[in-house]
Amino acid sequence: MNRIPLCAAAASLLAVSWAELQAAPKKPVYVGVRVCAGCHSAASIGSQYGKWLHSKHSAAYAVLAKPEGLEMAKLSGLRTLPQDSAICLGCHATAWHSEEWEKDDTFHIEDGVQCEGCHGPGSEYASLNVMKDRQAAMKAGLRMPDQDFCINCHIEKGSHVAVSKQPPLDVKKGWELLLHPLPANPIPGPMSGQTPVDAKARGPKYAGVMVCGKCHRGLALGNQWSVWRMSAHAGAWAVLGTAKGKELAAARGIADPQGSAECLKCHATTQSGARLDSYSLDEGVGCEACHGAGSDYMADAIMRDERSAMAAGMQTPSRETCMRCHQALGESFDFDEAMKKIAHPTKPAPTARDPRYKTPVRMALRPGGREIYVTCEAADGVIVVDPQARMKVAEIPVGGNPTGVTFAPDGRRAFVTNRLDDTVSVIDTEARKVVTTLKAGNEPHGALVDRAGKLLYVLNTSSNDISVFDIQALKRIKNLSAGNGPWSLAMSPDSQRILATNMKAKFAPLRQPFESEVTMIATDRATVEDRIAVPDANLMMGVAWHPSGRFALATLNRTKSTVPMTRLLQGWTITNGLAVIWRDGGVDEVLLDEPDMGFSDATDIACTPDGRYALVASSGTDRIAVVDVEKLLSVIRRLPPYERQHVLPNHLGYPTDFIVKHIPTGKNPRAILIMPDNRRAFVANTLDDTLGVIDLAKMEMTGSVDLGGPKVITKQRWGEQLFHNAFVTFHKQYSCNSCHPDGHVDGMTYDIEADGIGIEPVDNRTLRGILDTAPFKWEGTNPSLSRQCGARLAVFFTRLAPFTPEQLAAVDYYVTTIPRPPNRFRPLGAALTPAQRRGKEMFDRATTNDGRTIPLLGRCVTCHFPPYYTDRKRHDVGTKMSFDRTGNFDVPHLNNIYDSAPYLHNGMAATLEEIWTVYNPDDRHGVTNDMTKDQLNDLVEFLKTL
Amino acid sequence: MRIGAIIGLASALSGLLTAAEPLKLPYIYTKWKQFTVADGLPNDHIFAVKADGPRVWIGTEDGLAMLDKRTGKIKSWGEKEGLPWKVITAIDVDKKTGDVWLGLFGGGLARFSGGRFDHWHQLNSGLVNDVVYGVAVQDEYIWAATTAGASRFNTVTGEWAIFTEKNSPMEEIWNYNVAVGNGKVYLAVWGSGMLEYDLATGRWKDYLDPDGEMEIDLYRDDGIVHVIVTSASPADDVVWISTYFGACRYDGRHWRGYYNQDSGLASDFINNAKGRSADEAWFATDKGASAVTDFKTNTWVTYTRDTKGQGGKAVVMRDRDVLETVELPVAIPHNFIINYDIDGSDVWVATAKGLGWGIGEGYYPGLKQRPKTLAKTMTKGAVR
Repeated sequence: MNRIPLCAAAASLLAVSWAELQAAPKKPVYVGVRVCAGCHSAASIGSQYGKWLHSKHSAAYAVLAKPEGLEMAKLSGLRTLPQDSAICLGCHATAWHSEEWEKDDTFHIEDGVQCEGCHGPGSEYASLNVMKDRQAAMKAGLRMPDQDFCINCHIEKGSHVAVSKQPPLDVKKGWELLLHPLPANPIPGPMSGQTPVDAKARGPKYAGVMVCGKCHRGLALGNQWSVWRMSAHAGAWAVLGTAKGKELAAARGIADPQGSAECLKCHATTQSGARLDSYSLDEGVGCEACHGAGSDYMADAIMRDERSAMAAGMQTPSRETCMRCHQALGESFDFDEAMKKIAHPTKPAPTARDPRYKTPVRMALRPGGREIYVTCEAADGVIVVDPQARMKVAEIPVGGNPTGVTFAPDGRRAFVTNRLDDTVSVIDTEARKVVTTLKAGNEPHGALVDRAGKLLYVLNTSSNDISVFDIQALKRIKNLSAGNGPWSLAMSPDSQRILATNMKAKFAPLRQPFESEVTMIATDRATVEDRIAVPDANLMMGVAWHPSGRFALATLNRTKSTVPMTRLLQGWTITNGLAVIWRDGGVDEVLLDEPDMGFSDATDIACTPDGRYALVASSGTDRIAVVDVEKLLSVIRRLPPYERQHVLPNHLGYPTDFIVKHIPTGKNPRAILIMPDNRRAFVANTLDDTLGVIDLAKMEMTGSVDLGGPKVITKQRWGEQLFHNAFVTFHKQYSCNSCHPDGHVDGMTYDIEADGIGIEPVDNRTLRGILDTAPFKWEGTNPSLSRQCGARLAVFFTRLAPFTPEQLAAVDYYVTTIPRPPNRFRPLGAALTPAQRRGKEMFDRATTNDGRTIPLLGRCVTCHFPPYYTDRKRHDVGTKMSFDRTGNFDVPHLNNIYDSAPYLHNGMAATLEEIWTVYNPDDRHGVTNDMTKDQLNDLVEFLKTL
Repeated sequence: MRIGAIIGLASALSGLLTAAEPLKLPYIYTKWKQFTVADGLPNDHIFAVKADGPRVWIGTEDGLAMLDKRTGKIKSWGEKEGLPWKVITAIDVDKKTGDVWLGLFGGGLARFSGGRFDHWHQLNSGLVNDVVYGVAVQDEYIWAATTAGASRFNTVTGEWAIFTEKNSPMEEIWNYNVAVGNGKVYLAVWGSGMLEYDLATGRWKDYLDPDGEMEIDLYRDDGIVHVIVTSASPADDVVWISTYFGACRYDGRHWRGYYNQDSGLASDFINNAKGRSADEAWFATDKGASAVTDFKTNTWVTYTRDTKGQGGKAVVMRDRDVLETVELPVAIPHNFIINYDIDGSDVWVATAKGLGWGIGEGYYPGLKQRPKTLAKTMTKGAVR
């Protein structure tokens, strides 16, 4: 064979492959603003870098450390510090959502909103060769934003308006201020004045403020880096490039102040070549200007000991340190005032914090009967109460938002579920200390140990499953599938069955009847034996077995979401009652409402040991109903089957036959514990921070136990109390909490008649984190919360006089501070899984699989722009149904979207997939029909991380 | 003495010795029960069967049934009872939770738990395709073999993964079956042989016919007998494989192929395989239920049904020699075998015309000298 043609063929093949490799677009990464500064600093190119450095954008990250930032975060329902929050960083930093590999070493998130935040990640375009051709640069990823792009972040946000009280940004004006055009003949150039690194320099070298900032950040260290960044010192170099700076310099005969040693000796830390690569002139007056060159003392181990740091060269600045610059030109300088301005103590003076309430939500009696454990949601702790002495004896710190509590049969260990952390704290009850922590599912709520002391059952409210732990090995052995939002559980007297209530009803197609599930677990195999259907019920919370074991009682709401809210018949929109769950799985339902008074939000139930009474807590009307069990059964039994099934559940006349008394309680009673001696019961007054004590002989409240919460009622607390109270609705039928349990969703669709009866039923939306996502309502017609919760609420929901202005302000304030759970699928900074990463590409994509350009409005990211993933506009995504009056709907935010099924304006999509597989036939809700199944799966995985 | 004579003498001597040793034979299922629509099954086309303690789950062309072995009663579920799709091609039971997972032919995947059916299909979930042939529980994952690839569902996180030619060595994507064992997940793929997913490393390995796609076995026992694989069933560190063109066994190093022409296999067209151990496996052929009962001696028992009556026979073969034929007054319901489950000593046989229950009273693995009660029915030496 002729070798030459063969070699040539091989060579050309290689050449083609190499060319293809070269031509294949690389994924751009963020390089950081100082790479841009390499060309965009010189006056000959327009001094863009200096202009940016002088702008508010450059300090956008630092300002998050201000106290105002904390308040704004609170009003956004954020529990993390602003500088650790994806929501805040979404507008106050660049590349907050990127993974580590997408950021070069030269990139620093502390640079706030820097070039690449607007112009896109620069690794592929930030070179002279590419940038000199605008088209080539844009092909390599350079973005040229317009004013609409600015609006994505600068749109008015409720949390910001509430705190900073500034008028809305005038985008046109802001745009003018921000402009940084190129001159007619731009000549790229770096910063003047930067001395090359002197490799031969001896002694300590300047490391640069970013090195200091690696450690000297965060609330724990007084936000020192941010304090510096917000000071005039940080802008000292940049200010030399301003018109004023140049004017002052010119007056002294200095043409280029940013390159002049004369200016830089005070406007920069150093011009010395004794520096590390990490130091840059543009930091202005950085840490080392006062504290000395840091290369020898900057190590963590040295800095932890002040003497060692001093011995290594760290200096304590004196009056002289400041004066040599601040009086260099003979100007006056108030040293003491100036020191106050730049003060950056490691331990700042404590600021006033909101009172921390207890908010008791659950109770359990330790075997032996001498201690009650009370989980306190807001205090992240468990309070131990002596029931005899009726006093608090201890408080045990546990995880975030403790909720459920249960004991091992020997009483030596307690298990507490922490809803915020997704964990279970295991407490040594003798030592009163958490000894270990178990990982549970999402938002663990109810917990129960079986009588044999072998297994712990934990209900995971958000992941709809039940974690089963071996409590000897302290290991999770399996998960059982529950219903929708498992909440509480109770074991039968013979230990053979556990019933678990589920807070939300099962998904039902639009306008179809729904039902809830009570999950029955057989304890011998620890498997689900039955799923009892409770028709027309939702918000099933408390459950208790009757001591006879013949039946159990569970609290419920009966929400009439299939009919318009105008219907007042038979208890109006939401009635409240009980399910009687028979041993054989049969169910009867009765109401606890009466014709002129609702029993809103029945939350817990307990049976007296003799089986005579059941006590039911109404957290919406602050009372307990005492149900005579025999009378209740008598009412049920005397009815013929048809009435029992169809009439009794809606009959307001029967409750008086079996409710023998109502006992007033404190605010928002959510848990009841009856003592084994049948003499007393305790009720947790959740929003009072007390336990009420009930004398069961008299059926009266005879005392209370103070859990030690603050006595002052803040605006937020008051709002929380109003939110959970049904006083504001006709006949106290329901409270805000009834439709928004936990400030979230009940999974129902409602026909609110503002748009006409039978028109446009709408899916209930979460209240978590909503302040910054106005407008409200699916049609986007309510511009503010006060409008949403004020007059509109009164006309269409409560049917009574609206909240007073003070009440409204408190309720709105509380609503805005309802905490958001963390995203379980991607903590901030965590790497994406491969599927999530691919999904992000689908979310951001601009072309279809076959290379066609997707119009802007067909791209997910256009309308669902981070960090809230809503542009807060209305769009028609092709989901209008015949009974909708419009197809234009407010873009919902996507934060924690995995947790708020169903989807679309009327809840018709049961899952995220259905939004596109069923309800997007014409590509109007994003161009998605060309996606393969695995691409759609990846997109869904990414959406879950938002 | 010439070599030939020595060999002949040795052979004769060994024959004498053999004749003197008692014959060791495999266990034969002689006690059968049959279940059809007459007994309460919703349909006679039985596609899947899975035993879980006293409950036997049965997947048919028209619904799900459960036979309670203790009472003999059959309960069934159709679409009226909430079954999302009536054609059930696969069943597996999660031993930890008791949940029953169903592969639905055209309907996706369903879970039956505590009396509730949950339904996943290609529109409401990440399931790749609704035509599901096989399902397997692997800890908290559910694998589904579908006509468009394999799906894996994480029941804790809700994440779906899809395996096709894009991310696995799957030349064809029509998955016929999935099974879990030996630390691996095995996919049986029409036209792509067997794929093995290592759970420890997350890596795939494919097994294709070294003879290419020729319908001959060029070199014996050099690999999988054919790429049109209908199932792969792991048992005791080996995997038993059925194809439409024979069966084979792989122990991680050695292959052993089986054809009708040189073994007790009733037919080379095999719908399924179920391994009981490294030495025993059952093959669902279109001409009867064939089981290799002792790998080492290549001893087989094939069960067939006579065309008339309920009876049939069990034929014991070694290589192609018939060792005995046992008449069965009640045999398997039909000769077109679709699936199996091994339930302790018992065996369940899913056929085109009902379910058979082989009751394994006195079951023993491998070979042993046959108990006297069966001695009368032995016939030796007959060639089929």
